[in-house]
Amino acid sequence: MTAAGSTSERSEPDDRFDVRAFARAARGSHRDELDLDAVAGAGLSGEARRLLGVLAELEGATLHRLRNLLVTATHKDARVTAFLTTWAYERFWVADAFTAVRDAAGTDTAPAVPAERARRSANRFERRGPIRRAVAGMLDGTELVAAHLATGLVDSWVLEAAYRRLAEADPVLEPLAEIARSVNAGHEPFFREETLRRLGRSPRAVRLTRRELRRMDWPVGAAELAAEDRRFLLATVFGTPAGRADARLLGARAAALPGVGDQVGAAVERRLLP
Amino acid sequence: MAFDIDQYTNNSVGVTWTDLDFSVFETDPLPESSLRTLRYMCDIEYHTVCYLRDLLTTPSHNEPEVGAFMTMWNREEFWHGEALAAVLAVHGVTVDFDELKATRLKLGWKDRLDPIKQSVMGGLVGNDFVAVHMAWGAANEWSANAAYQRMAVLEGNPVLGELLRRIARQETRHVAFYASQARDRLKSSAKARKIARFALSRFWGPVGSGVMDDSEVTHVMNHLFAGSEGRKLVRDIDSHIANLPGMTGLTIVEDSLEARGIAA
Repeated sequence: MTAAGSTSERSEPDDRFDVRAFARAARGSHRDELDLDAVAGAGLSGEARRLLGVLAELEGATLHRLRNLLVTATHKDARVTAFLTTWAYERFWVADAFTAVRDAAGTDTAPAVPAERARRSANRFERRGPIRRAVAGMLDGTELVAAHLATGLVDSWVLEAAYRRLAEADPVLEPLAEIARSVNAGHEPFFREETLRRLGRSPRAVRLTRRELRRMDWPVGAAELAAEDRRFLLATVFGTPAGRADARLLGARAAALPGVGDQVGAAVERRLLP
Repeated sequence: MAFDIDQYTNNSVGVTWTDLDFSVFETDPLPESSLRTLRYMCDIEYHTVCYLRDLLTTPSHNEPEVGAFMTMWNREEFWHGEALAAVLAVHGVTVDFDELKATRLKLGWKDRLDPIKQSVMGGLVGNDFVAVHMAWGAANEWSANAAYQRMAVLEGNPVLGELLRRIARQETRHVAFYASQARDRLKSSAKARKIARFALSRFWGPVGSGVMDDSEVTHVMNHLFAGSEGRKLVRDIDSHIANLPGMTGLTIVEDSLEARGIAA
C-alpha cells in the first residue's frame, strides 16, 4: 500500500488509533512468505493437520462476520467501517495463507462433520440470520457497536492463544502462525481503544456488552463450525494446563474491562474450556 | 467472458496519488461546482460499505469468488474516497469520518429496514436475487466509470484528470466483474431476468440517490451529464445495461435524467 499524501494532514490526534495509517499499511498476500514445499514434506501429525483445517475454516468466515456487524447500527459508524474495510482485507489474506498451507499439508483436513449437522447443535444465539440480527440491532441501537467491538477484542485474545498453539503443533507451521499473530496484533489496539472508550461513557453499552460476552461461543464464528471441530479446537487450545491458564487469564482480562466484572469474566473463561 | 478472480485479488491495490502534484490546486483551484461534485463522489465511495452490507444479506457471499471480489472492491472504493478527500483537503474541504457517520444516521428507519427487506427478498427468490444485485451493481459501476471519465474531460486539469482516470480504470474492472456475473446468472434463469428487469425499471436511481440529498444528486447529474455530449454518454450506459440478458429496451439512466429535468 503506498497511498498517502495530504490526508496525513487530517490524521487523527496522536492519542487515537490512526485508522488511515492502518489502512495505508494493510498487508496483502502472504504467499511469498510461506514455504509450502516444506509443509508438504513435513509429515504433519493428524492433530496438527486438523487444527490447521479447523482454523482455516474459521478464518474463511470473515464476510459472514462482517455481515453480522453491518446489519446493525455498527455500519453507521464511518470510522468503524473504515477500520473493518481493511480488517476484512487483511483477514482475507490470512485465510488465503491458511488455505494454502492446509492444502499443502494434505487433503484429509476437511471438517469432521458436515456443517449442516453442526448447525443443530451450535449456539442458536449466534446462528441468527440477518433478519433477526437486524431486528435485534434496531432495538439495541447505536450502543450495540460497543458490544461488537468488545467481542472483537476478546476474540483477538482467543485467536492469539490459538495461533500460539498452532506454532507449537509443528515447527513448520510457525511462519503461518506468526503471520496470523502479527496481523491479529495489528487489529487488537483498535478494538481495545474503542471498547474502553465506549464502555467508559455509557451504562447501556456496558449492559449490552455484558450480555454479548456472556453468551458468545469463542472464537467468533465457532458457532458455524461442526460441533466436533469446535470441541476439538477448544480442547487443543485451552484443554492443556497451559491452555487452562490462558483461559483464566483471558476471563480475567475480560472481567477487567470497564463495567464488565467477574461474573461475565468467569462466563467467558467457562465457554473457552472444553 | 470469465472474470479472473485470482488475478484481480492479487493485483488489487488502493489507488495512489502521492506522485501527483496536488499543489497545482493551490494556484489553480477547482471551481465551487466541481468541488461539490467531487464531494458527492467522495461520500459515495466511502458509503460503499453500505452497499456491501446489502449484498452480504443475500446468499451471494457464500460463493468464494463473490466473497473475494467484495472484499477487494469494498477496499478499492474506500481508497477512491480517500483520494478524492485528499483533493478536497487541498481546497480546505475536510471530509471526516464523523461527518459521514452523521449522513448515515440521518437515513433513519428506511435504511435500518433495508437489510431485512433484502434478506426477505433474498429468501423468497433465493439465488435469483443475486442476479438482481449483480445487474444493479453493473449499472452503478458503468455509471461511476462514465462519471469519472466525463469529469476528467470537463475539468481539463491534468492532475485531477490523471487521478480520475486511475479511479476509472479500477471501476472498469468492477464493471467487468458485475457484468460477467449478471450475464451468466440472467442467462440461466428466466425468473432472474424477470425480477431484475422489474427491479431496475421500478427502483433504480442514480448512484447515491437515497443516501445523498436530492439537490446534490441533481447537481451532479446536471454537472456531468447535461447537454448533448452528456446525453450521449448516458445512452451508452443504457445500451450496456440493455445488452444484459432480458434487459432489452431499458433506458433507466436516461429516464432518471428526464425525471430530473436535465436537458439534453
